[in-house]
Amino acid sequence: MGAHFRGFSMFDAFFVQQLVNGFSVGLVYALIAIGFTLIFGVLNVVNFAHGEVYMVGAYAGVVLITAFAPPLIAVVLFVMAVGAVAGFGLERLAFKPFRRFQDEASLKSKAMREATLLSSLAVSIVVREIVEKLFGGAMRPVPFEAQLTEPIQVGDLSFSTGQFVIFGAAVAMFAGLQFLLYRTRIGLSIRAVANNPLGAKYVGINTDRTIIATFVVGSVMGAVAGILVALYYGSVFPHMGFAPGVKAFVAMVMGGLSSIPGAVICAIFLGLSEAVATEFLAQGWSELIAYGFLLLTLIFFPTGLFGGARDRV
Amino acid sequence: MSQLLEIRDLRVSMGAQPILEGVSLDVPEGGIVTVLGSNGVGKTTLMRAISGIYKVTGGDIRLDGKPINGLRSDEIVRLGICQAPEGRQIFSNMTVLENLKLGAGPRTGRAYEEDLERIVGLFPRLQERFTQKAGSLSGGEQQMLCVGRALMGRPRLLLMDEPSLGLAPKLVRQIFDLVAAIREAGTAILLVEQNAKAALRVADQAYVMESGRIVLQGPAAELAEDPRIRAAYLGGHVH
Ligand SMILES: Nc1ncnc2c1ncn2[C@@H]1O[C@H](COP(=O)(O)OP(=O)(O)O)[C@@H](O)[C@H]1O
Ligand SMILES: [Mg+2]
Repeated sequence: MGAHFRGFSMFDAFFVQQLVNGFSVGLVYALIAIGFTLIFGVLNVVNFAHGEVYMVGAYAGVVLITAFAPPLIAVVLFVMAVGAVAGFGLERLAFKPFRRFQDEASLKSKAMREATLLSSLAVSIVVREIVEKLFGGAMRPVPFEAQLTEPIQVGDLSFSTGQFVIFGAAVAMFAGLQFLLYRTRIGLSIRAVANNPLGAKYVGINTDRTIIATFVVGSVMGAVAGILVALYYGSVFPHMGFAPGVKAFVAMVMGGLSSIPGAVICAIFLGLSEAVATEFLAQGWSELIAYGFLLLTLIFFPTGLFGGARDRV
Repeated sequence: MSQLLEIRDLRVSMGAQPILEGVSLDVPEGGIVTVLGSNGVGKTTLMRAISGIYKVTGGDIRLDGKPINGLRSDEIVRLGICQAPEGRQIFSNMTVLENLKLGAGPRTGRAYEEDLERIVGLFPRLQERFTQKAGSLSGGEQQMLCVGRALMGRPRLLLMDEPSLGLAPKLVRQIFDLVAAIREAGTAILLVEQNAKAALRVADQAYVMESGRIVLQGPAAELAEDPRIRAAYLGGHVH
């Protein structure tokens, strides 16, 4: 009987392996999408520089590893600090200047909101160029000892340490953020500003400080995602934030724009779909999956896959 | 009575457009003062300027004699000026309890529990709805929540911007009873209203605004008899 099903079970294991890999890729998208969606939920604008925060986090971590080879936890703490500074700077530079207007025309104007799309895009281009000038445009390998590519065999399936680390990080970030948002004072303020920024002023919330806090939290998550993914894939390069940033954006739109759980689920779904698609489509075509999903979502589910409840953050 | 809030020659502009062109008014400690005026004369702008939401371009706002213009909205709330704003501005996606908690600011523990109990005493309906999304409440309940949220901040001065707008007559009466009850508890009130008749009945002092200026002022009881007021705001009937 074993012999009879052997061929089938091998296919099965291969397929499951693809799903495992797809799940890991989906988690990478989710790590980026969490911070992205948090910031969108509060400001209702896309932060185009999130992918660059991810990239800067990765480079900062690799520089530290190359210089001192500290333990992973120290690398993560350092990258968190870099992410916090990056988030703060980004908000001051690209977002704050467009919030000083109080007249109705500016508050309602789309141009005003779209201005921050361009200002964050500008910051992202400048940052990418600077990193390219400093470190070169080519892929830089992560020092081998630090890579999270140690294989772990479980039955027919092979995992790598990086997959477990990324899974752990995704769970920790998601749970940590839910705790922050639903169990702490600053989280209450963040949700209030996301829900009604004017109302938040009336109850005495310092909205400026809350927005900075949101950027810091979102960027810390983005930066940590960057270094972990770099250790998992084993390299960094200046444009590394672009493709996963696009996927995270698609996941955010599919999830309903401002729902973090929705974005996480859709990110994983996207990763799985891409993995399955490589089974049936020629190499390269799987890139179309994300854009296809984006179009289908925008046409058939303009408020996201999980219905119209625009429950911000 | 000493003045809690003094406003002198207040000017607010939006871009090049002047909205308030020299407004002066006083709210005494523990008093009820009402500001009347038709749509678009600048009442809400005045309230937002006091709360630090709009920048002031000239003049003075003083609390206990100390200037407060230029402070941020959160600093003004901390000084004891809370507002139940026009349009309510509640947090519709958050629960009723979360809305009230946000009103309490940094206060937690005993002080917070006591305030919550006091607010629930005023609005028993809200307790039944604690875990519901604020957006699912009826208009009247949302107004209660809006006022309750402001009271959670333990204001010395409560600003109320058209609290009766869009409510059924029975609820309107409740709101004005509430205004009187809040004052009884020691909070001064600055009340903006379209319902001039009810506002003049509950207030001590009244001001009438027209296009960014105060055009008439005096004790509420006197203004209620003023023929100009009766013609413009009380439907013109002379009983
Ligand atoms: N944020 C704003 N931007 C531009 N114009 C405003 C703004 N707020 C109020 N205005 C204008 O100021 C005038 C007074 O408005 P408002 O204070 O809301 O009046 P009221 O509350 O008495 O109805 C109106 O002409 C209104 O259009
Ligand atoms: Mg108004």
